[in-house]
Amino acid sequence: MTEDIDMQTEPKDTDWVCVNSTDGFSFLVRRKVAYASGTMRNMLDTESNYAEASTRTCTIYQRGIIVEKLLEYMAFRAHYESVGPKEEIPVHEFMERIPPEIVLELLLAADYQEM
Amino acid sequence: MATGRARVKTIRPPQRYGPEFSSQKTWALLEPNIREILNHNAMNLSFEENHRYAYNMVLCKEGPMLYEGVKRLVKENLVKLANEVIIPKFPTSGASDLMHKSQEDEALLKALRRVWDDHKSSMYRLGQILKYMDRVYTKGAGVPETWEAGLELFLENIMRGPIQVHLITAILDQVQFERDGHVINRSAVKGCVDVLLGLTTDDKGTNLYKRDLEQPLLAASEKFYQGEGDRLVETCGAPEFLSRVETYLEAEESRTQHYLSRLTAPALRNVLYNHLLTAHLSAVISMPTGLNSMIESDKIEDLERLYRIFTLVPEGLSTLKRALKDSIAGRGKEINRISLAIDASEKEAAATRSDLDPDAPKGKGKEKEKKRPQNATAQTLTFALQWVQDILDLKDKFEAIWKQAFKKDREVESALNEAFESFINLNERCSEFISLFIDDHLKRGLKGKSDAEVESILDKTIIVFRYITEKDVFERYYKGHLAKRLLLGRSVSDDAERGMLAKLKVECGFQFTQKLEGMFQDMKVSVDTNTAYRAHLSKTTPPDVDLSVTVMTSTFWPVSYIVSPCNLPPPLLRACQSFEQFYFARHSGRRLTWLPSHGNGDVRVVFNKRTHDLNVSTYALVILLLFESLGDGEFLTYSEIKEATGIVDNELQRHLQSLACAKYKVLKKHPPSRDVALDDSFSFNADFTADLQKIKISTVSARVETGDERKETKDRIEEERRHQTEACIVRIMKDRKHMKHNDLVNEVTRQLASRFQPDPLVIKKRIEGLIDREYLERCEDRKSYNYLVSLILCLPSAYDWLTVC
Repeated sequence: MTEDIDMQTEPKDTDWVCVNSTDGFSFLVRRKVAYASGTMRNMLDTESNYAEASTRTCTIYQRGIIVEKLLEYMAFRAHYESVGPKEEIPVHEFMERIPPEIVLELLLAADYQEM
Repeated sequence: MATGRARVKTIRPPQRYGPEFSSQKTWALLEPNIREILNHNAMNLSFEENHRYAYNMVLCKEGPMLYEGVKRLVKENLVKLANEVIIPKFPTSGASDLMHKSQEDEALLKALRRVWDDHKSSMYRLGQILKYMDRVYTKGAGVPETWEAGLELFLENIMRGPIQVHLITAILDQVQFERDGHVINRSAVKGCVDVLLGLTTDDKGTNLYKRDLEQPLLAASEKFYQGEGDRLVETCGAPEFLSRVETYLEAEESRTQHYLSRLTAPALRNVLYNHLLTAHLSAVISMPTGLNSMIESDKIEDLERLYRIFTLVPEGLSTLKRALKDSIAGRGKEINRISLAIDASEKEAAATRSDLDPDAPKGKGKEKEKKRPQNATAQTLTFALQWVQDILDLKDKFEAIWKQAFKKDREVESALNEAFESFINLNERCSEFISLFIDDHLKRGLKGKSDAEVESILDKTIIVFRYITEKDVFERYYKGHLAKRLLLGRSVSDDAERGMLAKLKVECGFQFTQKLEGMFQDMKVSVDTNTAYRAHLSKTTPPDVDLSVTVMTSTFWPVSYIVSPCNLPPPLLRACQSFEQFYFARHSGRRLTWLPSHGNGDVRVVFNKRTHDLNVSTYALVILLLFESLGDGEFLTYSEIKEATGIVDNELQRHLQSLACAKYKVLKKHPPSRDVALDDSFSFNADFTADLQKIKISTVSARVETGDERKETKDRIEEERRHQTEACIVRIMKDRKHMKHNDLVNEVTRQLASRFQPDPLVIKKRIEGLIDREYLERCEDRKSYNYLVSLILCLPSAYDWLTVC
């Protein structure tokens, strides 16, 4: 298999990954955060090594505000994924932070991102 | 996440792909990309882009088109791969060179593996971009997901027809190649086996390996090992056969571990067991280099392997046991042959004797033959000792083998014991021989050996003793030998005697040794009696002869109660009477019977040169005393001696022989020869000389029984058994009152088994005898018996006493 030499290095959870929106916003997130999305996990899979994986740059075909909210949720999820069962996860507060006007768009985007 | 409270703000509609979306166009875009992916060029493609194409198609209900399209592409690719990669690697038929063929096989296997890996990684990638289709479309449509579809396609397009045939053949060839001792690329085979293992053919999860490879593999193995087994049996000795088998077993084990499925291991092992082992078990064990020779040469390692391998299969242990038994039986037969030889020589001796007796010819050749009887007895003794020693050695040998090679297997042990038991009991005189052996060791052996050594020898003898079925016969002989040891003071150590007795007690219970212990008791009491007698004598006028008496309780001692008469000369007679007086004064109501045949005496004899102290048996003393009053050169004929002494013929002959014909010739026999004939005459040998002052003239003794004696012993034992059987029947019936015939016979057999094996017919006869004497009565049903209590109360007969023993 012809693979990029650079990418031979083991992907680490702390790698930075660049996520772009359609309207020119760019976000840098940890690989771990990006992996919260099934689609992005496949996208960044160094095994199959698609273009996104080799450049570590993904594009989400959404407006910046949607991408931001998606990433916020992904970070939220990545953060609370590993907490103990006793700690309370402030799901409710997170939901408060979602502006209703983008909900529909967000829903669709989330489905696409396999979250 | 989607629950937001409705507030009035501008809500943008989600993106629409509707108007401008065309499935044809999207597919047209996607198709080349999928081709690229199948060609490993994924890195140049955008995941997002292709994912989105698939997403859109699924969203727009074009799932079937996408699904079928992908399948078509994958299939095309597989066909291409098959044609380009696998088919060219098909072995060119007719490759005669094995090495070359193996390389071809390996190449084919590798090619298949490469295609598989290729296909797998492509399907993985496709699965990623078609994820949305798998999530949304396939489940609803009831078709397998991308990955499973990929496996199916692989099955359909690669694993069929000539490819599969060649593949299976190649794997089998490789296995065979390795079995033939060549090196193969195991990882190549393993690669393909893994592929086969990973492909399931139906819902039940049967994989291709199970379906297509396992059976042919087992069949091939069967064929190979069948041939191999036959070949090995033909060409190798047993040790080599076994080590080969072991190697094969290990090889197959490692084969299943390293490149075949673990699941095949048991089946394959069975093939080996069946064709290498079970089929050849008896052939191998009975090879000239088989069990027997391994035992012969103490090849512990080989024996260990033999045991290890034979116990793998169910029939192995029984075959081994049978062979061991045969081996022991063979060796036993060899040992027993010696005793047969004795019998033969004795018979011959008896024959010559009867030949010679009537007219006692004096030819020189015959003279030689005359020596035989005497030699025969001595020889018999050596043989008897040798027999026991041989058995002990044999036992030691097998014990060691059993410990070291057979892992102390209980079943093997019982087989060994059975074998020993059967061959030891084949020798009719085993009891006598063992008793002789013990006698010999308690008498003589102690001198040269430490206590521990003797102890261990006796311990081993006990083991042999255990094998005897007729323990009562042994008891009789042992009693006889013990009596001789005690009376003649030949027993070297009292402790050893008692130790032996204790061992017998442990083996057979106190009843067995009761009488033996009684003999010891008598010896002790006799010492006290003698001291008292001495004290008594010191107060009165002692007789001329010093007398020491052993008083023996008649039931304990195995001496014949029929007293052989002997006319004691006056001085001896007076001494006896003196003791009788003393004894009866102490114990009224007892009866003393003198047994001169068991005594001995010291006599001082004046010869021409010097005076000697002779220690002779009582009979010999009596004979010597006849010559006391005789002048020089006077004769006494045999019949004169017989008349004067009253000693029976055979005893008289024996003692005359020991006085006139043995090492110390105190008497002269006319004519001189080794044997005493009825018309011989004797005179005192005044010219007798010897180096020692004190001489012990031992009687020409028959330690080993002669044929007649043996017959007598046998009769005696028969009689004793009859009594014991009756006592046993009475004992049981007294307890049960009423019993069925069969139960009674079984119970009697069981109780007597520790002493001998009773014959049911004999038991039946005894029961009849008891019915005649009205101990029992037959019930109406003719099958059971009643015990007649009232009668036994009126007749407190011998059986109450017998009940005790």
